[in-house]
Amino acid sequence: MTMGIRQWFVLYRKEQLELVRSYKLLWVPLVFILYGAMQPVMSYFLPDILAHAGNLPPGAVISIPKPTASEVMAQTLGQFNTIGLLILSLSVMGIISAERSSGLTSMILVKPISYLSFVAAKWAAMALLVIIAFAGGFGAALYYTTALFDSVDWLNSLYAYLLFSLWLCLAGSLTIFFSSWLRSGAAAAACSLGVAALLALTASAFPHALAFSPGMLPQLAYSQYGAAASEGHLAASVATTIVLILALQFAASTLLRRRPSIDAL
Amino acid sequence: MDQLTTTQLMTIILPLAVVQLVLMITAIVVCARAEQTRGPKWMWILIILFFSLVGSILFFLVGRKQS
Repeated sequence: MTMGIRQWFVLYRKEQLELVRSYKLLWVPLVFILYGAMQPVMSYFLPDILAHAGNLPPGAVISIPKPTASEVMAQTLGQFNTIGLLILSLSVMGIISAERSSGLTSMILVKPISYLSFVAAKWAAMALLVIIAFAGGFGAALYYTTALFDSVDWLNSLYAYLLFSLWLCLAGSLTIFFSSWLRSGAAAAACSLGVAALLALTASAFPHALAFSPGMLPQLAYSQYGAAASEGHLAASVATTIVLILALQFAASTLLRRRPSIDAL
Repeated sequence: MDQLTTTQLMTIILPLAVVQLVLMITAIVVCARAEQTRGPKWMWILIILFFSLVGSILFFLVGRKQS
């Protein structure tokens, strides 16, 4: 067992180095910071932007109700649920399939290494990227919302951050799973985004039947900011998500064991 | 909507401009130093310069070749 942990750690160091060498650890957090700040700034300047857009009769008064700080934070999370997921999936998609097509995986896996620690190392690197990037994005959103609107509750924000990080980790796990199954990275990204969207859609369509679905996570995160109170059971959703993440890793390692390399056909 | 002074406006916009500039410069440096890019290098430099945010993201996602 200790052997397995040590093996995992060596592989994890390799993955971490890869994150740095491919500049992912730099550009993904920067992009997240920009997107996190964009929503509060845009909401704040919206009346000005509309006023300068012209084509209004003179004397017309635009009155847009200024959104509350909580509403702005909930909207920002909504942004991350689209753009954030997309960028994350696209940056993670090559994590296994690119190595497999270049034959690197079969070279690594010739050595007596358990497939599970190989996948788990990749997963841990992905989780690190998610946690750092989303901390940047969420921090920027929180900073601008507090500066331009009003302060928001710290504890609720922490819960929202953790819940949404878990949701992003699930999306990343889906990408890794499809990445070890499918030949093309783009297909892996598309499939994982599709499954994530499906989870979220079904959960919002059948909130009672699927109260503990992982798809409830984004809604649970929004509801920290007093958006429509969701029907979800927080603890149950978190538990099923963690189980699903583990199951995806086992499935990915099983798939790799069957077909470690893709023969160039 | 209270009128903002230029200073206040700058304190809002400046950090974002700096972050975007850092992203853009990183993309240009990585692109210039890369041995191979997917497509001509000058094209990527132009894309990054003209569409700074989206261009940089695109370059990092699809412009780099696996070495």
